[in-house]
Amino acid sequence: MSIREKVDEYKKILDIFPNDQEKYQYLIEKAKENDSFPSELRLDNFKVNGCQSQVWLVPEEKDEKLFFNSDSDALIAKGLVTLIASIYSDEKAEDIVSNEIDLMEEFELGVILSPARRNGAYSMLKTIKEYAKKLIT
Amino acid sequence: MSKFKNIKKDFPIFERDINGNKLTYLDSGATSQKPNSVIDKMTEIYKFNNANVHRGTYVLSAETTQEYESVRTKFQSFLNASESDEIIFTKGTTEALNFLANSIANKFMGEGDEIILSEIEHHANIIPWQMVAEKYKLSIKYVKVNEDFSLDLDDLTSKLSSKTKVVSIVGESNLSGMLPDIKEINNLVRANSEALLIIDGAQLVPHRKVDVQDLGIDFLVFSGHKMLGPTGIGVVWGKKELLNSLDPVYGGGDMIEEVHYDKATWAPVPHKFEAGTPPYVEAIGLGAAVDYLQDLGMSEVEKHSDELREYGRKVLLDIDGVNVIHSQEIIAGCTFGMYVDGVHAADLSLMLDTHGVAVRAGHHCVQPFHRKLGIDATIRSTAYIYNDKEDIDTLKSALISSVEMLR
Repeated sequence: MSIREKVDEYKKILDIFPNDQEKYQYLIEKAKENDSFPSELRLDNFKVNGCQSQVWLVPEEKDEKLFFNSDSDALIAKGLVTLIASIYSDEKAEDIVSNEIDLMEEFELGVILSPARRNGAYSMLKTIKEYAKKLIT
Repeated sequence: MSKFKNIKKDFPIFERDINGNKLTYLDSGATSQKPNSVIDKMTEIYKFNNANVHRGTYVLSAETTQEYESVRTKFQSFLNASESDEIIFTKGTTEALNFLANSIANKFMGEGDEIILSEIEHHANIIPWQMVAEKYKLSIKYVKVNEDFSLDLDDLTSKLSSKTKVVSIVGESNLSGMLPDIKEINNLVRANSEALLIIDGAQLVPHRKVDVQDLGIDFLVFSGHKMLGPTGIGVVWGKKELLNSLDPVYGGGDMIEEVHYDKATWAPVPHKFEAGTPPYVEAIGLGAAVDYLQDLGMSEVEKHSDELREYGRKVLLDIDGVNVIHSQEIIAGCTFGMYVDGVHAADLSLMLDTHGVAVRAGHHCVQPFHRKLGIDATIRSTAYIYNDKEDIDTLKSALISSVEMLR
């Protein structure tokens, strides 16, 4: 599935929930499903700066594609980073860098996706793109 | 009828709908909401009076200058200062403390001298002192905070000595609501040192009646935006003779008497400390905020704060699973730090937001004290004049349902 297709899938799911509370609940469920992150990878160099809670994103390259493993000590942030990581995982670095989809505009996710530069989601996306850029150059 | 009964009507923000709920604003420790009178006053100045202060010899400038300077007189009465010249306008508490730290260290301190702070200071009352300490080779000591969140005055006494040049202590804690006995601190400082005593009044001045002469302190600093005023304006009150003896930290227009190519002389206080165009519209807006608080009466404001604190203690202290950081002394502010084991403060505040409840999440610029308690982050509720018991009830029910979802 392409990044675009994955974003559209998530949009469909998020649209089902009528309010922020239920959307957050969905993210909490996503967070609880993501239990594959090894705690020894909670390292400072994998930390995403600019989040209110601690967020870790670990990139992995397999068969010329990038995969992201993620974690957070807060549930809603963990749900969000899980969702974002799954959108950009199993993709080529070039596709991640060239992709211009603005998740902040696509998803209506209350204050956690407000289009502010000092915002956790913004930092998560920036981190993913930076990892991808490093692979290309 | 209580002056506070229909008070929300004076604050247009409470007409807002937040996620389908009414707004329950409990983040006044971060900033207060503004009454119409403040907003209207600032609009009026920009519409009809605007001109730079102290410069023009024309009607508009004379009017704004008169309005700006009259705010000093309002604060003279609000704080019972002996002169209006003792009121210096700054950008806020942070700038005020940076100014005092630099000016005092430069004038009165040298290698080996000591600064005493407390363990529960806001970063604004730690970092400026750390910066000057490094520059002038000074050391900093921190007075202990007891387990009941009171200040350990015996520890203060034991730390005071002839080396102590500054004691700078929070007047009301932005985390626990602790209200240290400032008069007692003043007595201890005078008896055991020759230090200057600064009170960080950022949370104190909005909520309680402060009489600087009665307290006996040397300096009081606070921000306008936490007391119904606009952002970008704050106050340093200082004893006149001390202000006279200090040198300015910022140089520029409006703070001089005479300027030559090789030297300059300073204008008398307060103007020598107000270089450049001051935020005069903000100051005038703050003047309207002082009028609003004076109309309510600060003893009424204090009573309202005490009532909400008692109600908060009754309602918030026994919620299952919620740990509370709040002064256990009889008198305290109506600020409650809270945390739930196994639940992140950021999750909790996001969930509370879905109920229209606005609280702070994080370390509230009191990181060292959080570290001492072994907690990463807390949520914090600070009530103010426009809050009522219903707001505390809303917080409680939203907390219970949010914790249930997050566990």
